Amino acid sequence: MRNDVREMRAAQDLSQAALAAAMGVSRQTINSIETGRYLPSLPLAMALARYFETSVEEMFHDQDAAH
Amino acid sequence: MTRTQRTESAGPGGPKGTGASRLTGLVTPLVSVAIGVAYLLAGWAGGDLVFGLFGLALMTGLAVVLLLIRRRSETVKGLLDRRDERINTIDLRATAFAGVTVIVAVIIAFVVEIATGGDGSQYAWLGAVGGVAYIGALIVLRIRG
Repeated sequence: MRNDVREMRAAQDLSQAALAAAMGVSRQTINSIETGRYLPSLPLAMALARYFETSVEEMFHDQDAAH
Repeated sequence: MTRTQRTESAGPGGPKGTGASRLTGLVTPLVSVAIGVAYLLAGWAGGDLVFGLFGLALMTGLAVVLLLIRRRSETVKGLLDRRDERINTIDLRATAFAGVTVIVAVIIAFVVEIATGGDGSQYAWLGAVGGVAYIGALIVLRIRG
């Protein structure tokens, strides 16, 4: 599942460590989410969406749904 | 909402460095020391005080190493304070893998014991504990949803 976390974070000139601190997770976890190696839980996905003032659907893209 | 306000807001892991998370981070080191004390008491009761002292020193040393490493390793910190969902998932998978490995080893040891003329009872009860624990966990987790 693709996501826009890296782009949204970069747009706000925010480091992975700062976003991790705000979410209460490790920097490694933010990196893994951005690279698509880890799919976050629903609460974390919602917290990320809330942080960037968007929706989960806007931030995470189901590749199957595009076809 | 400003950047400052948002940085102060916490995700599902909660704010960093709370008193609760610091206490949670001490559970594993304290359990390690408690196991060391159990080794000491077992060694003392069994007449092998050297074993007991060595066991206590080893487990206390492990606790100290964990507390020191957590400042440098996000993984160790995550394993201790239990706040990072990804580390928790990795820990669950690693625990399941270790559990399956132990069960397989017990079954193999039981079969070898039987094949070599033994009764295999020391492995049978270990396997039984594993099986009962698994079924019990299935029932509890199923009820809890």
